[in-house]
Amino acid sequence: MPLKPPLLADRFLKFFCAPHLLEEVQGDLHEEFEYQVKHVGVRRARWRYWLDVLGFFQPRYIKRKPSQYPQTYLFSLNMLRNYFKIALRSLQRNKVYTSINLLGLSLGMTCGLLIFLLVKYHLSFDNFHAHSDRIYRIVTEQHRDNISYVSAVPSPLGKVFRNDYTFAEKVGRICTFEDMLISIKAEKGLNKFKEPQGVAFTEPEYFAIFNFPLSVGSFQNALNEPNTGIITERIARKYFGNTNPINQIFRLDNKLDIRVTGVLKDLPTNSDQKAEIFVSYPTLKSYNDWLGSDDAWGGIQSSMKCFVRLRPGVSPSEVEKVFPAYVKRYRPTSKNVHHYKLQPLNDVHFNAQYGGAMNKQTLWILSLIGLFLIITACVNFINLATAQALNRSKEVGVRKVLGSLRGQLFWQFIAQTGLIAAIAGGIALGLAALALPYVNQWFATEISLNLLTDWRLVAFIPALILIVTFFAGSYPGLILAGFQPILALKGKLSQQNIGGFNTRRALIVVQFSISQVLIIGMIVIARQIYYAQKADLGFNKDAIMLLPIASTPQQAKTVKAQLQSLAGVEQVSLCYSAPASNGHWQTAPHYDNHSEEESFRVSVRAADNDYLATFDLQLAAGRNIYPSDTVKEFLVNETFAKKLNVASPSDLLGKNLRVNGNMTGPIVGVVKDFHDHSFHEDINAVCIPSASDFYNNYAVKISTANVPATMAAVEKTWSKMHPDQLYEYTFLDEHIASFYETEALMLKLIQLFSLIAVFIGCLGLYGLISFMAAQKTKEIGIRKVLGSSLAQILWIFGKEFARLIVVAFLVAAPIAWWFMNQWLQDFKFHITIQPWIFFVTIAITLLVATLTVIYEATKAALVNPVKSLKSE
Amino acid sequence: MKRTFLGEFEEIVLLTVAILGEEAYGVTVTQELEQKTGRSVGFSTVHTTLQRLEEKGFLASQMGGATAERGGRRKRFFTVTAAGRKALVEVKQVREELWGALPPQTLQLMGG
Repeated sequence: MPLKPPLLADRFLKFFCAPHLLEEVQGDLHEEFEYQVKHVGVRRARWRYWLDVLGFFQPRYIKRKPSQYPQTYLFSLNMLRNYFKIALRSLQRNKVYTSINLLGLSLGMTCGLLIFLLVKYHLSFDNFHAHSDRIYRIVTEQHRDNISYVSAVPSPLGKVFRNDYTFAEKVGRICTFEDMLISIKAEKGLNKFKEPQGVAFTEPEYFAIFNFPLSVGSFQNALNEPNTGIITERIARKYFGNTNPINQIFRLDNKLDIRVTGVLKDLPTNSDQKAEIFVSYPTLKSYNDWLGSDDAWGGIQSSMKCFVRLRPGVSPSEVEKVFPAYVKRYRPTSKNVHHYKLQPLNDVHFNAQYGGAMNKQTLWILSLIGLFLIITACVNFINLATAQALNRSKEVGVRKVLGSLRGQLFWQFIAQTGLIAAIAGGIALGLAALALPYVNQWFATEISLNLLTDWRLVAFIPALILIVTFFAGSYPGLILAGFQPILALKGKLSQQNIGGFNTRRALIVVQFSISQVLIIGMIVIARQIYYAQKADLGFNKDAIMLLPIASTPQQAKTVKAQLQSLAGVEQVSLCYSAPASNGHWQTAPHYDNHSEEESFRVSVRAADNDYLATFDLQLAAGRNIYPSDTVKEFLVNETFAKKLNVASPSDLLGKNLRVNGNMTGPIVGVVKDFHDHSFHEDINAVCIPSASDFYNNYAVKISTANVPATMAAVEKTWSKMHPDQLYEYTFLDEHIASFYETEALMLKLIQLFSLIAVFIGCLGLYGLISFMAAQKTKEIGIRKVLGSSLAQILWIFGKEFARLIVVAFLVAAPIAWWFMNQWLQDFKFHITIQPWIFFVTIAITLLVATLTVIYEATKAALVNPVKSLKSE
Repeated sequence: MKRTFLGEFEEIVLLTVAILGEEAYGVTVTQELEQKTGRSVGFSTVHTTLQRLEEKGFLASQMGGATAERGGRRKRFFTVTAAGRKALVEVKQVREELWGALPPQTLQLMGG
């Protein structure tokens, strides 16, 4: 039996060798193989066979013999030019069709582009530091009856960790105080500034971890001495103008004079490290004695962060194992509450538990919505294009007769789609640039649209255009290319040949499902926000101004008296905070003669005796506290009684209460429950002692008559009493509305998105109706001849759309219900999703759909049957 | 006078085809070459050279009949054309002229 040459080599030869050469080449190779087998053996013959085959892999043998008939190539420059010319002409002729497509696509692409920018911006946070994969923040889990998460640690932890272990290359502590008052001596008087991003007491090692370069000075000596600091270029310009900032002095909180020893380059916008004024860490001791000391293990101040950069190869779990020893050594008396963990730097921006600015899930949802909008826009395009396909049947027929291939016709259509997509992409870019300032405002971001420096964006836009082109263009392209030339030329093509009416129906259903989910979501969110703002919170929040107390308790009392004497001011209370606030001053209470502290925590809302009257808080039992500067008596709320399992609130009266370690006194009254936080949280146990050292705010209740004059008088009084402070105020209702900023933003977004989705959906509907109208021309003609009325014919259309929308609704309602129910679970106090929301949704959709189709449908119904039946 | 250019390998291949006469095709030419010159030549190189010579008009080719061996595939036989013969003669003449012009003492030095 003759030996066979290697099969794979033979196949390869067959694949590449030109057919007219294959026979002799392969024959010679085989003969040579047999000869070689005899002479050198099988193994080497096979080896040589491979070499010989590869030797033939050259243009001479690959090139095919030219056929005697001319060939049509898929791509030729002349034809491409022709495609674009014809595409432009047909776009110009069908102006309505073109503009609907452009509008839909560019809206979808604008959203896609903006969402891309937003997601990219958030993913880029703090990714520019050297070895950022080894940078961690030490955070604290506090295990009590539930676990709470704090992004801070006791202040000495960083120091002892640095001294005791070699896990970390660098350990940097930074303690940031927000809203700090900065004053600078000017030629006349003081220039006062309030920095919302605050002032940070920082160790120099912080800057060894984070990549924030100095433009003037060096870290070696910039942050070592007490009362020195560095500022960014922006702050330097703001405070000192054009004068050299080095060695200039600014005053911190009217307490400390800080000398500038260095200037930082402006911080990048994509960083969570926001403070722009850094003061040397040793200064902290004179600003806050407790926090600056080495034994402040008693509690955690949220301003105190500690960052570490681990050595290569050190795993975070290894490091976390050494922390419990610290808790044992330095916090022997408190139960094992603190658990220190390492949080990776790339988690800081996204982890909501530790105050991350952006949830990754939100980014996913946004991306998904962006994708949906682009899909709906493409779906539209497909709908309209297939509906239009019949109009081009003659062209397709002629092209086919003249020798076009299917592939060419397909590419021709793709070229046309590409043209539309490219124009839409251009429009989208312009729209995105226009909308970007609003996006930045909504999301509190600083995104810029820079085509020159941002290669990802530069790559994204063509990629988007390409994807849209193929997604939207392939299906209609295939249909067009598949026309039978004879039928097409005779004009005998009917809609059946185009097919896919059901596909288009399905697409419409998908579009309207998306729209209706969004609409339901919009209504639910709006209702919930409305509920949160209008529901009875248990206290009065209207016409109450909150002013900061910026002086000693004695002066504060004077200011209060002066404010009270103003016309238009009804009540003034000195208090730690308003009844509802974001602040968390919570502590474990010692009740009565119980030996242990209670397992629940109580919010301390220190306030004077005017608190109840100012905020209209109602007493359930007992009496108000008497005026006092120190802790003498307590008010508590009903929840406090419930948590103690006391049968009646009045049982609490007269019992002793000790909170915060040293605040002690009898309970004299119980107030009715009020919402002490946002609706996201349950009502906490609350106690209200008088303690003038802790008052932060003047709560000023003003009469609603002549508000501007009263406000001006309040400002004048306050400024006169605090000449070295910056006047600022908030209204309580605005403050409470700010609890729901995220929800308000979400509402705005979902309003926008559902508007766009409905709009794009309507464009699709319009496409379908024009398609149906063309399809049913004859049917309508016959019906009219047989005596149908206008209304009956309109109902042919109405029936179709009502059915589609109802089906879409049946899909959308459960999905939306599930999603919104999940969303509402975030709130401890929320509305229920009521049936009317669904009715309103479907009514809105039906109404909008009717408005969309009514014109085309009426036009189709009014056509003279003579005309529509004449041509056959 | 314009001379036809023949590469060294082309010349040898052309000569081999002339030697083989009626029996010249890819395999025989390759084997003959290997035996006569003792050098190993690539199969595809010979093929390519044959084709190039045909394009230049020095060789003509025709397909032979079906064969029993090599899976029944036909062979392409090559014959030297008049132009091919002329080119060979010219090359030979040039060589001889050059040899003749060699000074006798040099010839002796080379051991001739």
